[in-house]
Amino acid sequence: MADEDEDAPKLRNQEDDEIDASEETQDFRFLNNLHAFDPGNLSLPKRGEKDFETDATNLQLDTLEASRQAMHSVLSWTRVHKDKNRILGMYHAESNMAYVEKAKTQMFQTIGRAKGGKEWLLPEEALFLIERGSMDCRWPVKEEEGETANIEDGAPMSLQGAYSAFIGFEEGVGGKLTLEMYNVYAGLRRSGYIVFRTGSWDDDFGVLRTDMTEPKGSELQSQGSIFYRFFAEIWRRISTPNRNVTADGLRFGPLVKPGLYRNYADIYRLLKIVPTHDRKAPPSFVLPADRTNPYRLHFDVYKTGTGKFSKARRGDPDFRVAVISARDTPLPTSSQLNDLLATAPYSPPDPANKNMYARLKHGTRNVILAVVDNGLPSYINVADTPFDGERLFENSLKPFRGKGGGRGRGGRGRGRGGRGRGR
Amino acid sequence: MATDVQAQPASENALATTEVLGQNGVNKEEQKNENKPRPKPQRFKRPDYNTIHSKPLPLEVYPLPAFIPHNPLSVVRIAIALISHSIRPPSSNEKVHLSYFSPETQSVHVTDAESIKALWERGFFGAGSLSRSEPRWLDQEKRKRGLEASQTSEERTRKVREDRRQFKLQRAKEQAQAREEQLRREGKIVNEENLASIVASEASQNADAAAVVPLDNSGAQPGDHDVSENPGSKEESLEAVRKLEEELASIEDQEHLQLTLEEAFFLTYALGALKVFHSDTPLESSSALFRHCCSYTSDPLADNAISVPIAPDNDFVMRYAVYHHFRSLGWVVRSGIKFAVDFLLYNRGPAFAHAEFSIMIIPSYTNSYWSETEDRLAECRKKEHRDWWWLHRVNRVQTQVFKTLMLVYVDVPPPWDLKAGGDVDIGSVLSQYKIREFMIKRWTPNRNRN
Repeated sequence: MADEDEDAPKLRNQEDDEIDASEETQDFRFLNNLHAFDPGNLSLPKRGEKDFETDATNLQLDTLEASRQAMHSVLSWTRVHKDKNRILGMYHAESNMAYVEKAKTQMFQTIGRAKGGKEWLLPEEALFLIERGSMDCRWPVKEEEGETANIEDGAPMSLQGAYSAFIGFEEGVGGKLTLEMYNVYAGLRRSGYIVFRTGSWDDDFGVLRTDMTEPKGSELQSQGSIFYRFFAEIWRRISTPNRNVTADGLRFGPLVKPGLYRNYADIYRLLKIVPTHDRKAPPSFVLPADRTNPYRLHFDVYKTGTGKFSKARRGDPDFRVAVISARDTPLPTSSQLNDLLATAPYSPPDPANKNMYARLKHGTRNVILAVVDNGLPSYINVADTPFDGERLFENSLKPFRGKGGGRGRGGRGRGRGGRGRGR
Repeated sequence: MATDVQAQPASENALATTEVLGQNGVNKEEQKNENKPRPKPQRFKRPDYNTIHSKPLPLEVYPLPAFIPHNPLSVVRIAIALISHSIRPPSSNEKVHLSYFSPETQSVHVTDAESIKALWERGFFGAGSLSRSEPRWLDQEKRKRGLEASQTSEERTRKVREDRRQFKLQRAKEQAQAREEQLRREGKIVNEENLASIVASEASQNADAAAVVPLDNSGAQPGDHDVSENPGSKEESLEAVRKLEEELASIEDQEHLQLTLEEAFFLTYALGALKVFHSDTPLESSSALFRHCCSYTSDPLADNAISVPIAPDNDFVMRYAVYHHFRSLGWVVRSGIKFAVDFLLYNRGPAFAHAEFSIMIIPSYTNSYWSETEDRLAECRKKEHRDWWWLHRVNRVQTQVFKTLMLVYVDVPPPWDLKAGGDVDIGSVLSQYKIREFMIKRWTPNRNRN
């Protein structure tokens, strides 16, 4: 009990985004409140205090029993499939997809694609619906000549059958659904996201995103009138000794020749000799187009609850996910990362954001890697970070706001069990 | 360092003063007061780091005096400064610091007290060999012998840890009592002895804790001179103080500043503020130092390493390219070995804020030279191979210490050191190492849904 604070970082209010809900203990008694299914009365579940050992009190036993009961009663709800919500699907062997003739439920607002009067489902979508119990999928029965296939006459597909049919089949439309991709798809769907496959169904390679629009206000504003600039230039020439790195200095040092400098920014400018990637230049692929390159975007992920969603006009996704098998694929090389990020759009941070760290962390291009190890996904956001754009030396000499040292994060305190964050 | 000490008069930390006086035997009553429940100690007042570290590099700059519109004289002052600077230009490098290459530790040592101070205060270069990072051994030593009331950061940390420990013990005790109460309410405890034994065991635990980790004045217990033992007359105590002062003068600073090879090379090649000696002969040119650093990094034991060509993916070259890049943008770059990474990036310096970013360097064999033959390709694959468990390990540590991990890919050029032993054109070599930074952050579906 005493080590509670070493485990649950409760005091990290300031960094909410870093708290991982899945790592906290849940007090499952909150499930009792869900019985009513009253949407107005839903409140966030409370986190209980973690007990590490039995302390022989009835209170603890009662709490444990109540939590157990709550979970049990949730699981014992009777699930009903209403007849009018029943989806009847048919497996289509040529494309390895499934289709539904009459899409009646709301489910199809975020799934499938209408084509020729039918709703076509990609393998992962069909599998997800079957696994969820929402769809009854049928194998096609050999057609007699002159008869049209009737879905009702098809042979029912088992869940095992669905897995072996939909996963790993290479030739279907937009094929190549791997088990890892399905894990990620199903996981994100269950967490409440809307997920679609990236790109059209047929292309094999990612598309370069060369559209680069700078956010408004990023252009340098011209400073004052022409006279002002004229005199400012003259003054600059008088007051600042003109210095460049000489060829000799570059070869054998020092880069900063001893002499008269007006400020440290001038010195820092001389030091810039190591080249970096130019993030403002249009991207290009480094690697040859290759079907086997594992680093490509797989899913477009949309948040829910941001207005009405239309699958015909999806717009730009909130997140882009590339699925990686942890056991088969090592960390990407820089060319692989370059090619992957080149397929994500250019979205530089808002220059009006005062927080430099936030700007840096935002990056210019973002992709989420879903690294799946035997069914367990771990998501990592990779951002292309424009460090060159933040010239720290230009503003680092302003006096620091707040206290003189190291206590910038007030909420830290003892929450870390004495280990602190270290310098 | 001396400036630190002056910045915080002894009276500011009432507690510390009390202890010191007590040990000197000047004020016995104060020492007795120690046993009373002490008031919450005043929060330690930090030295004025903005002044101490106002210069980000160990070079001098000469800004012009400010122009004040309503004070015409300021124009005169500017003119005088301009004219005097043009007649006799002052130099940015007032002093070239001397240092010694130490092959055993693969670092560069600075022993001159003034150089140590300058290199630490301007740009946070190096680390004290006997301290955590800032060289504070001498201060600690003086304080140990009861000569100075100020606390070094190490001592402060120790005290904070002890306070926290006490707090936890207290909390554990309260929890045990609450549980006891609950059991009693449920009628599970009938005899009073049970409670007594629990409380007793808690108490002894506390006593143990106090014995194992002595309280904060432990560091100040003088082992060799028990002046406080005999109260004596005032003269005697004055005599004791005088003796201590003599001792202070005799303490020799046994600490030196250790620069990593990257820091030493940056100070030499980029700033021209350092001169490195190796076994009494100066490494005159940056080129010689470069070759030296590279060969010691690749094979510290080989004697003839200097005559072997520098491999393009030599660890030192890649680390230096990254170090130089971030230094040139104004970050304070320090070794990240304590956090299992290559470098840490500080905004302004460790005295001001925690490091926000940590850097892991990954070689990148993108150049077509590396894929020319099958063998070469396989070799490079092996060198750049990292698995996901590696990344997660590193990233876990970084999130625990509130830092953001960056993978920095360094493009390795084809071999450039074709004739070994010759001069290295450092500028053109460094311009071949292209750098690209990627920010790595865990993403949790449950946290991003809105």
